[in-house]
Amino acid sequence: MTATLQSLWEVSLLLCVFALLAIAGLLLARVVGERKANKRESLRRQLLPQLLRGEPVPVERSRVARRMAADLTIELAELVQGNDREGFLAAASLAGADAELVRRLRSNAAQDRLVAAETLAMFPPYASAVSAVALSDRNADVRLGAALALAQEGRAPPVGKLVRSLGIGSKEQSLLVVSLMRDLARTNPHAVEALLYDLEVPDTAKLAATDALAESSSVDHEALVAWMAEASEEDSDLRPRIFRALGQLGHPSGHVAILAGLDSERWQVRSAAAEAVGRSALHSAIPRIVQLLADDQWWVRFRAAEALTRLGAEGRLALQRAAADPNWIVREAASTILAEQAAA
Amino acid sequence: MIGPPAWADQWMIGAAELIALIVILTGLLQIGFYLIQLIFAAIALSFRPPVPRGATLWRRYSDQAPPISILAPAFNEELTVVESVRSLLSLQYPDFEILLINDGSKDGTLARLIDAFGLAPVARYVDNAVPHAAIRGFYANPALPRLLVIDKDNGGKADALNAGINASRTPLFCAIDADSILEPDALLRVVRPFIDEPNLTIAAGGTIRIANGCTIDSGRVIDVRLPRNFLALVQIMEYLRAFLMARLALGKMQVLTVISGAFGLFSRQRVVEVGGYSHATVGEDMELVIKLHRHMRDIGTPYRIEFIAEPVCWTECPEDLAVLGRQRSRWQRGALECFSKHKDMFFNPRYGRIGFIGFGQILLVDVVGPVVEVLGYLLVPLLYGLGLLALPWLLAFLSVTVTFGVFVSVATLILEEVQLRRFPRARAIPVLAAIAVVENLGYRQLSNLWRMQGWWQFLRKQQAWGTMTRKGFGVPPSS
Repeated sequence: MTATLQSLWEVSLLLCVFALLAIAGLLLARVVGERKANKRESLRRQLLPQLLRGEPVPVERSRVARRMAADLTIELAELVQGNDREGFLAAASLAGADAELVRRLRSNAAQDRLVAAETLAMFPPYASAVSAVALSDRNADVRLGAALALAQEGRAPPVGKLVRSLGIGSKEQSLLVVSLMRDLARTNPHAVEALLYDLEVPDTAKLAATDALAESSSVDHEALVAWMAEASEEDSDLRPRIFRALGQLGHPSGHVAILAGLDSERWQVRSAAAEAVGRSALHSAIPRIVQLLADDQWWVRFRAAEALTRLGAEGRLALQRAAADPNWIVREAASTILAEQAAA
Repeated sequence: MIGPPAWADQWMIGAAELIALIVILTGLLQIGFYLIQLIFAAIALSFRPPVPRGATLWRRYSDQAPPISILAPAFNEELTVVESVRSLLSLQYPDFEILLINDGSKDGTLARLIDAFGLAPVARYVDNAVPHAAIRGFYANPALPRLLVIDKDNGGKADALNAGINASRTPLFCAIDADSILEPDALLRVVRPFIDEPNLTIAAGGTIRIANGCTIDSGRVIDVRLPRNFLALVQIMEYLRAFLMARLALGKMQVLTVISGAFGLFSRQRVVEVGGYSHATVGEDMELVIKLHRHMRDIGTPYRIEFIAEPVCWTECPEDLAVLGRQRSRWQRGALECFSKHKDMFFNPRYGRIGFIGFGQILLVDVVGPVVEVLGYLLVPLLYGLGLLALPWLLAFLSVTVTFGVFVSVATLILEEVQLRRFPRARAIPVLAAIAVVENLGYRQLSNLWRMQGWWQFLRKQQAWGTMTRKGFGVPPSS
């Protein structure tokens, strides 16, 4: 029993020692950190004006200076545009920022690797180093971040290879993939279009490609719409997104698919198709859209009423007639949306 | 150990020994669970997804960030409501709408809003997916398209949030307290799981921090300082433990059973599917999360409910015993109501880790925890009187209890300091460490008595919220 009692006191003592040491350690780290921060601040004040003016930095090539130059590049490079950026990046290179960022690409911390890759993507000579990160970093967020940064600069690896390495549509479900595809479509629209016809590419990736291509004028939208119309017939969770993309595109060859979507059994699809009617100015759908004002689902009624407000005088007239409909559900939807529009 | 006195019957000794065993076992289980939480919290913080730097965060996420409706229920908040709305309007997020719900305030909340923002009555086509008290009207100003005020009959916070859900037109809604302050990029950060895993994420919560003592200007926390009020200091330590240890760890384990009503982001559709917020509980925030778990498990759809440490919401905590006591007994009552209402999920294999770990945690910490601890307070003198407990043992157990509490608090401070570092002044570290020691001497016992009060109210089926008196953020910190 005495041994147990002694153990209890020893546990307490151990916990106390841990707590005291931890607090002392935290305070010490603070003091050391603050001293370093003061030094860094003075170095920062020295480096910043030269970097912003794109002038060579008159500091010794010390590691601290390289780190500060890298930190300033991370902080400011994206905010500097055009010729000023070129000057800024050249001065940062002379100060050793790029070498420091390359070193950080090998850091154990994913945060450091991501930020280093994003910044290095702005330095043309390092495109291949950042591509390697995009294709093979062990952290999915770092891979995607590097790919996004490269695509924004127009220096991304081949589209197909990137889609497979990132696992877009399989492992990678992020909505940021749409941004990636948009940037990729800016520089290589046909490579993005080719994804639609690649049987191995998952539907989610294809849909992201579709969203991106809808904004591009470099590809034949008719072929794109044909793919979307075909995909819209499949029973998939992606259907609402396909209809939204069809609405955004507004191409006449998508109208048949949109009309079919209005009769879907799934309210999410009816709602997205109703929205697409308004966006693509599909006037022939007005009678069916008016019927949807009596739908069981509020979202469908709301999107239908909203679509009518987008269909010009013809749509407004239909909405005004619906505001006097004997069915109070129709009447409420139409009259309230009309009142909202009047006040806006 | 000394022998029992002659007057002690055998049954008395047996009962005392049994109670002592329960107290010790529960204590050991709690210690074990806290250690596991610490490990998971450390893992969660160390391996949290990397975040792009400021400018990139905005550029990258603003393109794909889904629109959000911010639901802010307000009841008798004429002192703070205008400042709160101004703060919300200045949030950095590409597409959001603030739905301020005036829940039948008896003061000038609505009039202040109308005056300050030039609001006029408007029409709004709203859903009737979830139940709530009657809406009296909507107010807006075309020059402020991001603000809509909903004026409704009083029905309580859950009711007001339901009205907001019906009026919202976005896939996500963010429930907040009208008097809380969100950091400018809080929405952009909390939405991340919905962007990264759009098909899985149904809810996400962020950290709540205490703003007492901080300098606040134009609805922003511009200087983080510790308050001078002892109760506020203790609550800072409690919130650090609750958010940086418990919720972070439970989120990592995917067994989070509560997202604070002060700041949580939800899929509107999923919340509608579970019927919105429940009226018959004071723990409506906890109950919603449990309903979401139940629903998703019932329909067999994979999902995630996340907790993210970085997005911060600042709130004012009570600085006097009466208000704090009411708040704590209400929280206790809320937890008990949720546990009781969903007790069929407890240890039910159908609900997997939620039934075992999530509900196990509620049982251990919220249901049994205060009862056992108070029982311990009563048991110690009893055992001592019966001659079953010698003073060295009493002191040794007390010492382990207190030092373990301090250990947990210090470990949380380490996590805060290494990963987040939100206290700019080094002085905060020893002050909070001292609080971690001092809170054991009186505050902890008082807190357990408040929780027992919550137990009593739960047993009596009391439903009132009690009054929460706030100073308001416009008032400078006491010096």
